[in-house]
Amino acid sequence: MQLANCLTEIGRQASRLAFLLLCTLVLASVIGCGATPPAYFRPNMVESTKQRLNPEQERQVATVLLAMFGTPDHPVALAETGLNEAKLHLAAGPVRSDIVGRKNGLYREHCAHCHGITGDGLGPTAAFLNPYPRDYRPGVFKFKSTERADKPTQADLVRILHNGIAGTSMPSFALLSETKIEALAEYVKYLTIRGETELTLIRAFFELDDDAKGTLPETREFLVEETLTPIAAKWQAAPAAAIPVPPIPANIDLVASIAKGRELFYGDKANCVKCHGVTGLGDGQANDYDDWNKVIVEADKEIRSGTEQASQASTAGMSPEQLADHRLQLVWLEKFHQVLDGDALTPRTIPPRNLRQGIYRGGRRPLDLYYRIYAGINGAPMPAAKGTVPPEDIWHIVNYVRSLPYEFDGELGADRPMVAPNRF
Amino acid sequence: MGSRWTGIFWSFVFLAVPVLGVATFAVAPAFDIWLPKDVSSDGATIDSLFMFILILTGVVFVITEGLLFWFLWKYDAAKATGPATYVHGNHTLEVVWAVIPAGVLLFLAIYQMNTWANVKMRRPAMSPTLEVVGRQFEWRLRYPGRDGTLGTPDDLFLVNDLHVPVDEDILIQLKSMDVLHSFFLPNLRVKQDAVPGMKIPVWFKATQTGQFDIVCAELCGWGHYKMAGQITIESRKDFNAWLDSMYAKQEATQPEPAAVALAE
Amino acid sequence: MAVGCVPQRVATPLADAEVAQKIRATLVSAASASGSTREAAASTGTGWGTLKGRFLFVGVSGAVRPLAVDKDTEVCSKGGMKLVDRSLLVDPATKGLANVVVFARKASRVKNASPSTTPVVFDQKQCEFLTPVLAARVGQPIDVHNSDPIGHNTNIAGSSFNQLVPSGQGTVYKPESETGMPTAVTCNIHPWMKAYAVFRKDGYVAVSGVDGTFTLADLPAGEIIELQVWHERSNGPNGALGLEKPDLKWTPKGRFQIQLQPDEVKDIGTLDVPASVIGT
Repeated sequence: MQLANCLTEIGRQASRLAFLLLCTLVLASVIGCGATPPAYFRPNMVESTKQRLNPEQERQVATVLLAMFGTPDHPVALAETGLNEAKLHLAAGPVRSDIVGRKNGLYREHCAHCHGITGDGLGPTAAFLNPYPRDYRPGVFKFKSTERADKPTQADLVRILHNGIAGTSMPSFALLSETKIEALAEYVKYLTIRGETELTLIRAFFELDDDAKGTLPETREFLVEETLTPIAAKWQAAPAAAIPVPPIPANIDLVASIAKGRELFYGDKANCVKCHGVTGLGDGQANDYDDWNKVIVEADKEIRSGTEQASQASTAGMSPEQLADHRLQLVWLEKFHQVLDGDALTPRTIPPRNLRQGIYRGGRRPLDLYYRIYAGINGAPMPAAKGTVPPEDIWHIVNYVRSLPYEFDGELGADRPMVAPNRF
Repeated sequence: MGSRWTGIFWSFVFLAVPVLGVATFAVAPAFDIWLPKDVSSDGATIDSLFMFILILTGVVFVITEGLLFWFLWKYDAAKATGPATYVHGNHTLEVVWAVIPAGVLLFLAIYQMNTWANVKMRRPAMSPTLEVVGRQFEWRLRYPGRDGTLGTPDDLFLVNDLHVPVDEDILIQLKSMDVLHSFFLPNLRVKQDAVPGMKIPVWFKATQTGQFDIVCAELCGWGHYKMAGQITIESRKDFNAWLDSMYAKQEATQPEPAAVALAE
Repeated sequence: MAVGCVPQRVATPLADAEVAQKIRATLVSAASASGSTREAAASTGTGWGTLKGRFLFVGVSGAVRPLAVDKDTEVCSKGGMKLVDRSLLVDPATKGLANVVVFARKASRVKNASPSTTPVVFDQKQCEFLTPVLAARVGQPIDVHNSDPIGHNTNIAGSSFNQLVPSGQGTVYKPESETGMPTAVTCNIHPWMKAYAVFRKDGYVAVSGVDGTFTLADLPAGEIIELQVWHERSNGPNGALGLEKPDLKWTPKGRFQIQLQPDEVKDIGTLDVPASVIGT
């Protein structure tokens, strides 16, 4: 009798506790854990809207890309791309452990929040960063050891991952193992090749003959041999395009070299001060854009001029055809405007580098500075000194630039204030 | 009112608190959820202070919780049906249990002063071994180079990969490039907030070689969780060799041959 | 609040998974069906002809806009000279529209197999490119010259040629691939400087002169040649100039077709460019 009472009571109280716990759990799951939809590649809306693709054509591009490259969770690398599918699988997909306990989903873990799932530089954190994260899709990379027009080598990509980019939000991944860094570099190449193929396909609609149905041929000849192979070939040709670097003269007198470099820096062969400023603070000019931002600025201009024209056009004297065209134009302008709102970041000018800070984005080795001066910076306004400034002179400029953070104010004269317009 | 088993049940629920509390601390080391391995010269003192406080507060905790259980058990409403008595309080008791904890606190404050001074006040008279600048979301390092002075052209610049020689006093000049960070070396029992605009000295002496973590201990933004670095403690000879090789890499005027691995 | 703060992205159609499967099957198989966009024009004739025409601007061309010259003014604004926007150059006397580019989209044969070795001069003086539209053949040397007392750099978009050109000197550039539509040429040191460049493999490209006339010589006779027309300020896709000329089968993509007889000089007459196809 006692025992029965005891047990009933314990049961009653325990069940009260259990009920409370259950309620909390249910509430938590209802609020917190919705199922996430699978990740998908976002189409290049700015380009396809600029080229006035209709939904059928956009669909065709998406379908072809799905066939050629797969999805973010299941990447496909055709043999012509020269990519290693095993490395891609290590980097692709959600973060998870595979059967041997290795961590997969490296790209999504480390890169996607800035560079985006599609590698378009439109990840959730992108809008808060200055400079913006790289958009891989045009296939242009700034800091590499190859000639201006060429792609970076594997070593270049690995170096950026390993060292990060000083003065930007790109962190150093030196603490990751070699295997992981190589898998990430491979996945970046994959996203870039995919992006370049997408741009080529979108632009190909304009190249179609007017009597064609407005769809691209879905043949191996067009897709692989004419479109994909030239793109992949440029990547494979990258190591052959390495910038030749003659050795720095053996017993170079550093003081004399710096003086010579200063002469060249201020001279009109290399014209460095025209952009980097007579103080080297990067205040020579402030109104140019890098290639990625230029696209948005020009799209903006196109929309603005189109809107102005459309609003000025009087619909009174228009034929039915002209009216239909006019309406289509308005719809297109509205769409383009929305695309720039949601699929593009506010364009920013690219200030010339402040050389007094000792922060060198592409690397601080004399070799890195040589590469930047010789070939300029692809995608940025920095021009190439190749062919204009002989190699020994480039080394003199390199030595001068490296001495800039340590040059004392007094040397420049009291009339030139050392005021940096921005921090980086 | 409920049966008398209600009281018993809930008393034991509250008894679970000190029991489980002590049990988790007892089994934690077996699950490797305890203090990280200590490789610093001051670590033993700091850890022993920690243990002293833990044991002291633990004992008081067990006693207090035990008393709570006892009162729940003894004065269960189902059993203790007699009228409640009003007590005016016991002056002696209240003085005792105010003075004793105050004394313990005072004792702790004085007992730890020397360790605190070692870690935060008695800076070794030396020039900095390196400068650490916290930046969202990495640790930028600057070694002074052969001339021993920071801010000269022979400085060595690195990110996240901190090396120090073993068994030597290390002085770090800590700065922040943007927001508050906190330079935390768990295995060396070193933690110091990096305040923008301030140059804060941090020192320690490592007693064992190995690779350990650097973490950020002050919420600094969305990347705070991954603002980690690595500290490698090695012999002076290895340290010098490493400095030389990193400096040579930094001054490279020719591309590395393809076979050379990027990791040092 | 939960939905609010993220800008809504434009909805796009999803890929068709089944069709993608089929496409992938064809891509990985060795067999290749024919079909590309680059079918060579079937050659059906001999001899060469010439095409002529004239672009006239119809309407109000608007006030000439000055450029913002804020650097090296002792050279760029020398003698009080003001640089103006040359994107719409209409001759006040003849109403001819200059700098309209006409090029052949594909030609089955070329008169001169290899490009000329005499370099085309592309010069800049007083902080302005002297040639508003540079037309050249792929492989033809271009002497990018600088006749100013200050240094410039010449940046040909899309070609990744962006090189310093010191004062009084030149650098030779050989385009290695053809541009689709003309591409922009700028100077990064003096950002107001702008020109365009078009490179074609067959070299069949003409730029209309001050009076609006253009001549395309040595076109292959006996075949239908499709020509693409472009203007910097055109509203059309990628700058294509779409005119109302049904007799030439002028399309909205700015293309028209002609067929020449050997030794024929075909004059397609005046081509009116209304202000409505020119953007602001």
